Amino acid sequence: MRRVSLTEKLVAIVRRDVLTTIRYRNGFLLSAVGVLAEVVAFRYLARAIGPAFRPEGVDYFAFLVVGSGFYTFLITGVQAFLSTVQDAQQTGTLEVLLTTSTPAPVLIFLSSFSAFAGKLLNLAVFLAVGLLLFRVPLLHPNLAGVCLIFVLSLAVALAMGVFAAALQIAVQRGSVVIWLLGSVWFLTGTLFPVGALPLPLRWVAWWIPVTHSLTGMRGALLLGKSTPELASEILWLSGAAALLVPASLAFFSWVLRRGRREGTLSAY
Amino acid sequence: MNAVVFNSVTKRFCHRPALFNWLGRERGGATVALRRVSLQVPTGEALVLLGPNGSGKTTTLKLISTMLIPDEGVVTVCGADTSQEGGTVRRKVGFAVANERSFFPRLTARENLDFFAVLEDVSKEERAARVEEKLSLTGLADAADTLVMKFSSGMYQRLGVARALLKNPEILLLDEPTRSLDPGSAMRFWPFVRQLLSGGTTVVLTTHSFQEAAAVGDRIAVLRGGELRSEREFRRGDLQSNDLLTNDGPSIDEVKALYFQASADNEDNPAFETAQ
Repeated sequence: MRRVSLTEKLVAIVRRDVLTTIRYRNGFLLSAVGVLAEVVAFRYLARAIGPAFRPEGVDYFAFLVVGSGFYTFLITGVQAFLSTVQDAQQTGTLEVLLTTSTPAPVLIFLSSFSAFAGKLLNLAVFLAVGLLLFRVPLLHPNLAGVCLIFVLSLAVALAMGVFAAALQIAVQRGSVVIWLLGSVWFLTGTLFPVGALPLPLRWVAWWIPVTHSLTGMRGALLLGKSTPELASEILWLSGAAALLVPASLAFFSWVLRRGRREGTLSAY
Repeated sequence: MNAVVFNSVTKRFCHRPALFNWLGRERGGATVALRRVSLQVPTGEALVLLGPNGSGKTTTLKLISTMLIPDEGVVTVCGADTSQEGGTVRRKVGFAVANERSFFPRLTARENLDFFAVLEDVSKEERAARVEEKLSLTGLADAADTLVMKFSSGMYQRLGVARALLKNPEILLLDEPTRSLDPGSAMRFWPFVRQLLSGGTTVVLTTHSFQEAAAVGDRIAVLRGGELRSEREFRRGDLQSNDLLTNDGPSIDEVKALYFQASADNEDNPAFETAQ
């Protein structure tokens, strides 16, 4: 019988991560300043390009804020989670965590969730400063659609995080996932629309989850598209989540067993 | 009833040398950490593992805790196979690891223990009291709200023991638990372990101290090169006193004799050998 609920465990992990983050006082302040600086830079970039450029029918500044903010949230979430695993390997905490009564896949999934929760604050500040302070008009945003795209994108990113953690334990190079995600950023429609790419690259972009996350999020938040109008993004992300979440957890469990057999859980 | 059983257990660690290894000449191949080791630890008794560096002591503990899985043979904990029923085993075993830094440095001792208590399924109603109890037990009550990054090695070690005790484990694994403790704390630690034993906890402890082995062990095993070279059971009366001089376990000389008898042929590369 479970004596401590999953919610309690999630709260404990989030609390640990929040306490650790705020106790790196200077790092916390610098990252807040970094978020503000990025928004301001986008404001001037959009002004320099001029109001005539309206990718996907939206104001370019709004396009940048939503695209870059959401992309950064998803990628830095994966990165933060990977860093947690790397730190735990180096200090030897990982081995200890994996001998607690909490099953390893549960622990890793909750830790991944917590890493994204930390980055959610950054995203909120980014969007608040960008959309509210600089008064970007929102045309009846579809909040249900925003939530749906957000949850599905988060599920896919969580799976990426678990893949990265598994690779870190298996071959001590989880950063390969970050590198892969980072190297295709220009295909995902973060700074300019995917439509500007040549056809073969557009085909590659279609296979990248973040492309659908950004298109869906901009559609729901900035254009107020209805849920049926977002169907293609919702279906793509649902399929990816349904495939990647169990696959990443199965891969992680396999890697863990291999690590226990080879004694490489804490190798880094 | 045996709490822990090793049945002809072998554990190897394979080293895959780097690509283009001729550049660095890293050694490849496999290291046999344990070779066909069979042993039993009856419930409520203390097994002390002695042996030189690299003899397989920590590997033995890691196999019990499920941090490692055997390559050959079977390890069972309270009847559960560690390879097949890891979850069941982990609920019964508490492990005070030798790695002192295995905590979250920017959390306090209390926050660290509270976090691990949640993962160990200690219920919310019991948690605060349990954490407080373990902090007091290990003499860390005054340092409970200090960030552990400011701890000394000895304090880390005590916190490690507190963490291992959080779930009131049936089997307690202690990897060189007094290595960084001052002599006074170490001598108070041994009767504390005997007290846990009298409460029914089974203890497996590794050490390099003959005194510790004599003070704690109901049985002492000597490992060397991954092989179990000798094992001996010592009869003890009911130890209620904290005075080690009244301890009716083995004498330090008996432990020394057992240790050196297991390595009479001196097959190791001797460390710190002085010139003759």
